[in-house]
Formats: sequence, C-alpha cells, structure tokens
Amino acid sequence: MFLNTAGANTMEIKTLQGIHKSKGGLIRSFVTVQNGKIKEISISGDFFLFPEEAFFRIVEEIKGIKAEREEVELKIKEIYERENIQSPGTLPSDFTESIMKALEG
Amino acid sequence: MEEWRFIDFGLVDIRDMMAMDESILKADEGNTFFFWTPKKSIILGFFQKAEVELDLAQCKDYTITRRISGGGIAFSDDRCRQINYGVVGTIDNELFPMDIIASYKQICGVLIDTLGHYNLNAAFRPINDVVVDNRKISGNAQTRWEEKLLQNGTLLLDFDIEEMLRISNIPKEKFLDKKIASIREGLTWLDRELGEQRDMEEIKQVMKKKFEERFHVRLKSGYLSEKEKVLTHTLLPKYYSDEWVYR
Repeated sequence: MFLNTAGANTMEIKTLQGIHKSKGGLIRSFVTVQNGKIKEISISGDFFLFPEEAFFRIVEEIKGIKAEREEVELKIKEIYERENIQSPGTLPSDFTESIMKALEG
Repeated sequence: MEEWRFIDFGLVDIRDMMAMDESILKADEGNTFFFWTPKKSIILGFFQKAEVELDLAQCKDYTITRRISGGGIAFSDDRCRQINYGVVGTIDNELFPMDIIASYKQICGVLIDTLGHYNLNAAFRPINDVVVDNRKISGNAQTRWEEKLLQNGTLLLDFDIEEMLRISNIPKEKFLDKKIASIREGLTWLDRELGEQRDMEEIKQVMKKKFEERFHVRLKSGYLSEKEKVLTHTLLPKYYSDEWVYR
C-alpha cells in the first residue's frame, strides 16, 4: 500500500500485477488488497478451463478472502471441486502462483 | 459410410463467423466440419482481456471479437492466407474422446496428416498446438457443450509476425519454458516451409480428404439449417457488442 503524496491522509490502493505460466497457458492477475484482504481481482490469460463459466466463480469468490497463499489456494481448490472444473495443463496452484506473484511483487 | 456435413464459409467477417460457430455447436444438426478464412481481425480467447493482451491504440483497423473457447489470440492480417477450420462432434470416446487432450490430438491429426502430405515433419504439441520442427504452425481451441465439442483452429499459410507483435502486449515469460529465444523463432507457416505459395483451395481439398480418412466418414457439402440461421441471428449482437469483446 502506498501513501498518496497528493492528498493528506488518503490511502491509494495500488493494483498489483502477477504473471505466471502454467503448462496450459499464461495467467496474468491484477489484484488490489485492502486491510490484508483481496479487494478486487481480474485475471486474463490464454489457458483453457471447462466449463468456462465457472471461471467467473473463481474471480468472484476470491474477493474478500485473506491475501495469503494457503487461503487463496484452498478457495480455488474448493471451487474446482464444486464446479467440476477441468483445466488441462493448469492447476489451482498455478492460479494461486499468479495471484501470489502479484501480491508479493 | 457415414456422411457428415461440410461447409466452406469462404472469406468472412469474424463476428458473423463466431456467431455461426456457436450456433453449429448448439443447434444439434449433426457432426460438421467447416472452413473459413478470416478478414483482418483479432479473436480473443474466452479468458483474455482486450486491454491486457492488445495494444488497443494499434488495433484500430482490426475487427475484434471474442470466442466461446479459451486459449490465445487468433490474429489475422490482411494477407488472409489462413485456413481456419471448425469441427462439431458428439463426444463418443472413439472419434471424439472425452479426455480433452486426447480429443485435441485426434482432431489435430487432420492437420498433421495434411502437413505430412507436403512432406513436412509435423507433430502434436500438447495442449493444443501443431508444430513443424518444433515451430507452431497451427493453434487450436476447444470448448464443450452438453455432449458435444467444438474445436476451432488455424493453419497458417502466411503470417506477418512483426504486425502481430505490433498489436500485442506479449510478455516474454510466455515462451521462456519452451526454450525458444523469441516469438519470431517459435512460429512458422506453410509458405515458408514449402518455399512457395500453394493454392489455398488445393490445401483445403487435402485437409478435407485427410479429415475423411481419419474419421472414416464422407463429407457432404451442405449449408446452415434454418434452426442454425435463427440461432445465429440471435447470437450476432453479442459478437458485435463491446460488453462481450471488452468485458
């Protein structure tokens, strides 16, 4: 988090970017964190994931969870199981890695 | 011998083509193999964000849309020397395996057999590429709906790499683990491999024959059904909308 030098006492939330390549494709994550939790996230990539619509569950449900590796991976794994996701060459840990690269800079 | 439908859409606006593509998958009119050649355009994969993957200021004279399958950008320059194909098939664990990579491999076999016809050393590179001497010559993308699969892919006859680089935001990480020094060295196209320009119609005929041999079917020329035309019509606004393309 960075102090905004332009205005007194206003906190600027910076969007962080992480890039990770799985065997199935490139995963680019854009994450903003507030109070140790993931506030906003968007993911862009050339991976494959079936059913495609389940991808939006991942992005939605990661919002609000703690910005920590274990929490992120647990949540993604849970969604994979529940939504019966298949993503050849890409594992829940690959999404986690992309997000963590953003968080850890 | 079983007959499957064959359609050659010719040179098309990619937004119209993607609407027809989806309608063929969802209208349930039987297994179909089809060709098209895209006009100058960019098709985003389902999970790609336009502003992340593209240098949009450089893309102003391109038609941009998104497809319903994952994977990377399908870029077509104004040379229009690409054969794009689509396959819609019912998953049967034989011709169209349930296993995703096995089904890619089966369909990509048509491209490998076609390139073999021209004495090129082509191979399947999982997940979804066909390579000639380890250089990508064909990208493929699959999605599934109910009991069916739709696979689209391209066979590059000619390709303007510099133009693709100009319009893209490709990070260098993409090619690192493939141990390829640059994107320039990781791609190839048929005209370059053969050292001459072959007639596109001739290559399509070879591909069609290789498809028939691989799937043990006869391809019969046909058209979109009324049901598919109606569905295409309802899908068109999506492929033309900013909400879909720039979401």
